[in-house]
Amino acid sequence: MATRNNLFAAGLIAPLLLLVVASFIVPLLVTLYTAVGNPEVRDALPRTAAAVRAWNGEGLPPEAAYAAIAEELALAQEGQSIGQVSRRLNFEQPGMRALLLKTARAKTDLRAPFKGALIALDPRWGETDLWRLIRRSTDALTPLFLLRSLDLSVAPDGSVVHAGKDESVFLALFARTFVISFWVTVLCVLIGYPVAYTISTLPRRWANIALALVLVPFWTSILVRTTAWFILLQKEGPVNALLQALHVVEAPVTMIFTRFAVYVAMVHVLLPFAILPLYSVMKGIDPVYLRAAASLGAPGWKRFLRVYLPMTMPGVAAGALMVFMLAVGFYVTPALVGGPDDQMVSYFIAFFTNQTINWGMAAALACLLLAMTALLVGVARLVVPGFRVGTVGL
Amino acid sequence: MVERNLMSVAMALAGAAMLASFGANARDLMVVGFGGPFQDNARTALFQGYAKATNQTVKDDVYNGEMAKLYSMVKSNDVIYDVIMVEAPELVRGCEDGIFEKIDWSVVKKDKFIPGGTTTCGAGAVLWGVTLFYDPAKVQNGPDTYAKLWDVKTYPGKRLLRSTPKTTLEIALLADGVPAADVYKVLATPAGQKRAFDKLDQIKPQLMWWKSGTQPVQLIASGDATYAVGFTGRIVRANDGGARYPLLWKTLLYSVDYWAVVKGSPNSREGMKMIEWITDSKPLLALAETYAVSPANKDAAANPALSAKNPGMLSSHVSDALFIDTEFWVQHGEDLEQKFNAWVAK
Repeated sequence: MATRNNLFAAGLIAPLLLLVVASFIVPLLVTLYTAVGNPEVRDALPRTAAAVRAWNGEGLPPEAAYAAIAEELALAQEGQSIGQVSRRLNFEQPGMRALLLKTARAKTDLRAPFKGALIALDPRWGETDLWRLIRRSTDALTPLFLLRSLDLSVAPDGSVVHAGKDESVFLALFARTFVISFWVTVLCVLIGYPVAYTISTLPRRWANIALALVLVPFWTSILVRTTAWFILLQKEGPVNALLQALHVVEAPVTMIFTRFAVYVAMVHVLLPFAILPLYSVMKGIDPVYLRAAASLGAPGWKRFLRVYLPMTMPGVAAGALMVFMLAVGFYVTPALVGGPDDQMVSYFIAFFTNQTINWGMAAALACLLLAMTALLVGVARLVVPGFRVGTVGL
Repeated sequence: MVERNLMSVAMALAGAAMLASFGANARDLMVVGFGGPFQDNARTALFQGYAKATNQTVKDDVYNGEMAKLYSMVKSNDVIYDVIMVEAPELVRGCEDGIFEKIDWSVVKKDKFIPGGTTTCGAGAVLWGVTLFYDPAKVQNGPDTYAKLWDVKTYPGKRLLRSTPKTTLEIALLADGVPAADVYKVLATPAGQKRAFDKLDQIKPQLMWWKSGTQPVQLIASGDATYAVGFTGRIVRANDGGARYPLLWKTLLYSVDYWAVVKGSPNSREGMKMIEWITDSKPLLALAETYAVSPANKDAAANPALSAKNPGMLSSHVSDALFIDTEFWVQHGEDLEQKFNAWVAK
């Protein structure tokens, strides 16, 4: 009987489970695989891949590898599949693309033995490191994209080294993403807390109007709200006009394309996500506790710190978590109102996805962002009292 | 019984889906561009012109150059676009990746295009470019070369550049005295790249960056920037709307947008015919009646009536200009983008 009930229950949740698997777990696994997958060279140049895998990595590969690559590059160019190979190798070693295209174009003029012919065409074909690079790119999995996303790279001899100073961007990018998200979260909670408190103490009619005022911008597109800030903050915009009229500043201040604009717009966009969970927790707090504290002689600040604040912590935690998670993935807002040094990880994910079609890099950045966010939230759960995923709204 | 009913509903749904997908194979010709005023005017003169001439239905859609969608379309063999307008580096990459069909030069006449107007997978559509400009109401006798743009004593104020290494690094080298013909040779070397970034370092505090093409004119008008490098088409249109921005053709950097056919399109043959028609000088001259176009068609570009009507037509001003090297950017784009972002954040 019990088993039959369990089966029945399992049957009931099966559609939901399938939905979670299909819409969350499968894409996540695909992204993970894309971050470490290495199929480009093997797919486009299968015989070359086999030949370099048979080579021991010392000196130069045998004639078979030279013959295979000369032939397969020309075929790949004719068959419009050379792009993935040239992009993959060029990403690891700038200049490879030109070499591969040159070789593919020269195919009709090349005669056996191909080893001598290719080296005569371009001396780089006589370098052991270049062949090691090709060999490495035929491995089943590659750490390349994950390493690059952490400003590391693989040296020609295969060891892991730091990228040069003028190429290091990603560690700073992750740090920037988390710092911006952290301050946006702090600001949202600090601003949202008194707002939610005020709404929770209003009579029902006024509370509904106040909630509508919170929700209307919430229903407006992020793009529209961000563009509005762009217009408000520009040099001859209303904010500067107001500041000048009040004699706060003498000359108009540059505000767009600055970190300040990113904070203003992101806090505005994300504020409802802090207010709503806070409000729903505060609404459920019985005022009798505060009265009890007062009757026992606790002054106002103590009633707040010892009674009210601890009881609203689940709302603070839920609101902060929601704002932080959303902020970490922000793209449109920093792209529009921020300068190039205010961009967050998503900007680069979009860049690699759409502009250079380097989906390995896009996936690696996405995976690292997910892992780091999970780590931070996990640490927060251990450190912050009352912080529980699964409380209000989550 | 319930199961049987469910089954029949499922079968009916599956059948409907199959019918829908058969329907999609015999669909109307779909042409896709970047939108904006060009497409609004091209819709009448080019797309519907072709539809009328061949007595068929042509629809058009807008995209913003994002390639991921095209790649997944081709890979999943569910191609809903036929003819598409593409920027040069994306065209070259997509061609090598089998995202675009090779142009059938027996259908499209190759000799009607300007030099650089044809590639394996693309037939030239329009020219686009960027130049330096400023508001003469605020600045008298502003800088008219990139070297002068670096003179912050004579010309104080913010300089607005595009927040991509493409065009920005070329401009830095031009400002440093590298002749236009050598820019890409220099930029291909690490020393040349360092030279460009060092040059940018000299005026870094005065630099601002734009992303969307509407921003240069907007930010010059709003006073946020004093000088800007922006799309010529936008500057010309602002002038049509009453602005008086100078067009400094000596500072022009330009490139070509192409028409291409998406690989696996069920209308690929029809797409080639359409490209042949819409790149001809007659429909392009019809388009020029309503929109200041810079066509990649030789005859149309040389038409005196057209250049008189459109003082901003790029082909009349390319003698001193720098042609943006597509192959260079396909080769070095990713690497320089990373260096550019590292430099910006420094």
